[in-house]
Amino acid sequence: MSLDIDPRIRHRTRHIGRSVPRREDRGPLTGASRYVADIKIGGMLEAAFVRSVEAHARIVSIDTSQAEALDGVEAVFVAADLADVKSFPDYISYIGSVRQRPLASDRVRYVGAAYAAVVASDRYVAEDAAALVAAGTVYEPLAAVADLDQAMAPDAVRLFDHWDSNISVDVNPSRPEVDRAFAEADHTFAETYTSQRQTGLPMETRGVVADPSDGNLTVWTSTQSPHMVRTAVALMLGVPEPQVRVIHPTVGGGFGTKTHTYPEDVVVPWMARRLGRPVRWIEDRAENLVASAHAREQRHDVEVAYDDDGTIRAVRCTSILDMGSGEIFMPGTAPVFVTNACITGGYDFANMAARTVGVVTNKTPSGAYRGFGIPEGAFVMERIIDRVARLTGTDRVELRRRMLLRPGQTPYVMHGGGRLDSGSHRQSFEQALPDALAALARARARHAGDDDVRVGVGYCNYVEPTSPSYHLTTGHWGGHDSATVRVDPDGSVRVAAGLSAMGQGAETVAAQLAADALGVLPEQVTVVLGDTERAPYGLGSWGSRGAMMLAGGVLMASERLMDKARRIAAHLLEADDSDIVLTDGAFHVAGSPAPSVSWAEVGTTAWVRTVDLPEGVEAGLETSGFYHPENLKHHLDADGRINAAASWANGTHIAIVSVRVSTGEVSVEDYIVVHDCGTVINPALVDGQVHGGVVQGLAGALYEHFQYDPDTAQPKFSSFMDYLVPTCAETPPMTVGHRESPPPDQPLGVKGCGEGGTVGPPAAVAGAVSDALADWDIDLTACPVTPVAVRAAVRAAETAGRGPRGSR
Amino acid sequence: MKPAPFAYCRPDSVAEAVEVLASSESSRVLAGGQSLIPAMNFRLTDVSVLVDIRAIAGLDSVTVDADGVTVGAAATQSRVLADAGAARAVPGLRAALRHVGHLQIRNRGTVCGSLAHADPAAELPALAVATDARIRVTGPGGRREIAARDFFCGPFWTALEDGELVTEAWFPATRPDSVTVVDELARRAGDFAVAGLVAMIDASDGAVRTSRLVGFGVGGAPLRLGSAEAALAGWSAGRPTADIEQAAAADCADAFDDIHATSWYRREAVAALVLRAARTALAAKEQL
Amino acid sequence: MTSEALTEVAVGITVNGRLSRHRVPARLLLSDYIRDVAGLTGTHVGCEHGYCGSCTVIVDGDAVRSCLMLAAQADGAEIRTVEDLADSATGALSPMQQAFHDHHALQCGFCTAGFLMTLESVDPAEWRSPERTVELLSGNLCRCTGYQNITEAVAAAWSTNHEEGGTQHG
Repeated sequence: MSLDIDPRIRHRTRHIGRSVPRREDRGPLTGASRYVADIKIGGMLEAAFVRSVEAHARIVSIDTSQAEALDGVEAVFVAADLADVKSFPDYISYIGSVRQRPLASDRVRYVGAAYAAVVASDRYVAEDAAALVAAGTVYEPLAAVADLDQAMAPDAVRLFDHWDSNISVDVNPSRPEVDRAFAEADHTFAETYTSQRQTGLPMETRGVVADPSDGNLTVWTSTQSPHMVRTAVALMLGVPEPQVRVIHPTVGGGFGTKTHTYPEDVVVPWMARRLGRPVRWIEDRAENLVASAHAREQRHDVEVAYDDDGTIRAVRCTSILDMGSGEIFMPGTAPVFVTNACITGGYDFANMAARTVGVVTNKTPSGAYRGFGIPEGAFVMERIIDRVARLTGTDRVELRRRMLLRPGQTPYVMHGGGRLDSGSHRQSFEQALPDALAALARARARHAGDDDVRVGVGYCNYVEPTSPSYHLTTGHWGGHDSATVRVDPDGSVRVAAGLSAMGQGAETVAAQLAADALGVLPEQVTVVLGDTERAPYGLGSWGSRGAMMLAGGVLMASERLMDKARRIAAHLLEADDSDIVLTDGAFHVAGSPAPSVSWAEVGTTAWVRTVDLPEGVEAGLETSGFYHPENLKHHLDADGRINAAASWANGTHIAIVSVRVSTGEVSVEDYIVVHDCGTVINPALVDGQVHGGVVQGLAGALYEHFQYDPDTAQPKFSSFMDYLVPTCAETPPMTVGHRESPPPDQPLGVKGCGEGGTVGPPAAVAGAVSDALADWDIDLTACPVTPVAVRAAVRAAETAGRGPRGSR
Repeated sequence: MKPAPFAYCRPDSVAEAVEVLASSESSRVLAGGQSLIPAMNFRLTDVSVLVDIRAIAGLDSVTVDADGVTVGAAATQSRVLADAGAARAVPGLRAALRHVGHLQIRNRGTVCGSLAHADPAAELPALAVATDARIRVTGPGGRREIAARDFFCGPFWTALEDGELVTEAWFPATRPDSVTVVDELARRAGDFAVAGLVAMIDASDGAVRTSRLVGFGVGGAPLRLGSAEAALAGWSAGRPTADIEQAAAADCADAFDDIHATSWYRREAVAALVLRAARTALAAKEQL
Repeated sequence: MTSEALTEVAVGITVNGRLSRHRVPARLLLSDYIRDVAGLTGTHVGCEHGYCGSCTVIVDGDAVRSCLMLAAQADGAEIRTVEDLADSATGALSPMQQAFHDHHALQCGFCTAGFLMTLESVDPAEWRSPERTVELLSGNLCRCTGYQNITEAVAAAWSTNHEEGGTQHG
């Protein structure tokens, strides 16, 4: 759908393009915000879940009697009690169905799987009771599947008895042109790259409060997708959907983990209905580390065909995702498809054969994390380019210059069908280079004279699909989002949208958009998000879609509202509709500022003094827009290709690192970003998204790694002492530059910006460390780049006789 | 993550505290609680009675005299860190405490609590061994004093007997011509060390004369690096380092593997820290 | 108190200038006391093992992790929480709160109270240098901002150019 947007608001109007201060700030600054854990309802009980301590086992029996006898315990529920609750739907036909129950019944498939729930007077007592249920649980342990190789072994223990292997999905399109290129190329090499298991880790864990009073079911949950939770809860509990209201209160970060609808989102409302009392469950951090979605654990078996001059002729890549147990809704398979779709980044390189495999193991289910497969692919591509440069003696920067898309090459269709509608692929790289080279020189100067310290630089040029199809991810939902705009009798504006807010500033952005669309000040706009009773059906905030979908929905609804307002104003001014314009919040005839009518007069006429409405105009001044981006597709074409994103942002990341050879310590000394998300609505917020994303990316590059025992699949982590979230002391100075390449077919030329920051760091840091250690011919193939990993590489090189003469 | 039920008391005297400690099984001393309470929140530690010693008069004192520094059992790490006299008498105290946790932790955590907790990756136990500190305890059998080298038996395991309470730790004054270096490799600011070293080095004429080297994070308890001390004697900057590195690595032959590092990494890291400390000490001497 | 060991203890705790007396379970964490008994939910609980710093409050002048303290240990203490920072009469933000707003130093806001209380507890003269500021702030995790805007906000609020209790924002 194309929008007929008032040309005056297309770009750089009064509020769009400016760092309008955030309206979200005062609550958290003063402690007045209400997060889900802050909700208290009279008579409310508190829940705790009992979680498997076995990676893979049958549950033989659960003795709940001791827990039930405990003072303060209201009820203990196990899977059998929830027999009337439907399973999570298996909507995607081409992946293995997991038939996920709200509580695990006879079989547990990962440490952390909830198999019982306790409701008590407070959380302390609930935990006492949960410990008694745990002690009363008899397991029959089964052999555990701890990694991809074990999962795919011919004699592997199967997680699901109704599958014939542990492979959930395996898609391998034929690409004869790639085979031809391999046959013709001067050289080939094969390598395996890996990306480690991580999680989004919002500072606020998940939490659910359910209130069954008055025959309705109100659910507060810390989610990124309240309408999707509503649909799932209504379906699974068999409650008419109009009787279910889902609200996300202030949300303390999501980063993808809160896009899923989790068992607790269903079980807590069920328990509240069963007991007729409000019930609250707040995930604690120990639960969070094993019970909220993990992500990013992928292996990439790569073959590369290249010529003597550094030309990369073709790449074959088998990307295999460790899905954990797969028991998560929506399913966690989509990121590995995104990895393969985005792997070639902003490079003019379509000769790619990508096989996509998803495998289940006895670990926490893998799902969404900011970046959603993109960082894993960018890592592979940049490591390939650096390797080819090194093998052929080609300059790394020159090779990238040769490959990057130039102005005029868009729209460009990628190997998997992704349509890069616009972008500044080569220009962003060129813009970042001078800053990076200056930073590199500074770092070299800082460490001059210290033989133990080596300095290097690493590059990443990526594309970020924004506002993607949710049909491919869920098998059910599509890709629209919604907004309702209303002008009340006093002239105040209300915007309600299906998007969610979890800290990114969506309310401020919505107010900016509505203010410019309706010629008012942002202060005059009230924004409602995250409440299924007050906002229209939307899919929520994920996939770098907030700004785009808000722009689409708010402007669409505003246009419709403006049409009606103009008619009313024209009638009040006794003029013709087409002569009416809006200036500084007042309607008047073009060319003569007086007389005029205000939004309050128009609003009052529409709602109150309806006797003054023109003939044929209905009362009320409220319009909606259900926006769906024009080029967003949900089904593969005949060649198996698809453009599954509304638009594609791009960027360049360059890391400057120093490596202390004797200890393997890596320090990121500078980090340069050039970022292009089309029209920037609020520069401060976009910078904030980039800063936060980059630090999450650096966390994956250097620190965060969920490790499991290779034999038992028991987690080797339980706290923040084991899962190393970086502090500000581990964070480098960042320079963020911008370019704006607006997509021609999007309202305002907006692209998403939420995820790009996470994409570059693993590739850029691994590239920089490999560069710093070039004298040892070290070429890293995995993250995190820990001191141990660096030392292991140096030792291996020196054992093989590689390394600078006389070093150390 | 809520602690299991327990009883709490806050005695006014050491005698009362010892009485409660001795009379109940799985009773624990609560000083700063910065290691104990997280363990209780995870329900990893079984506690029936918590004995809060912070109301006992005089137990939070820090006294400095010509012989050394006496740190009471309730004295917080922040308080000791801020004590200029203590830092002059025992420079290692300030050097070690700057690595301990973060401000908020040091504001509650105590020096004696860290010793009694005996985390193998902690700085203060290693400092106590390096400085020949003495741990003073009171128990049902009366008072006794334990040399730091005898106090640490293994991971989270000390020579304390049932019902005994650490009342103070005494750190002897460091000789003014000795240089103390506390250095460590940690993954993040404030983390426990992957490998750490307390070094007390005497140097003259640009060469190391004698040294006292104690590693932490590399064994079950603070680890005296005897071979490295011998190898370091007489070393000066620019001389070969391989013997020292090998000696330090040999001293740490039993270093453990965990998710943060391997055993061989810890051995290498300690060797690197020994050399770094020696260079630092020589440079510091040069500046005097 | 004597040496009698109790599972429920009487505490008198002053929070933001208001003294309350309650009988609480011995095991009640101070973070839960502040949130559930005192009813001040601006103090957030992020990990309950003393790492993330979200629950930082000021106890008798010092920044502490309220999840690593028992309410029983706070008997007789004076506690300040984030609700005490803005001017109670006018609602005006403190200079540090204002600087966080001006520099976009918060996104989801869950960690913000912990940062603010850590900053509120210290003497800027001691912690103003960039290195010391980073050292100070490294005891609080933030997952949204990437820290850069936080350190910039602190630098601005603590800038010696307007030290006399002021802010450039009036």
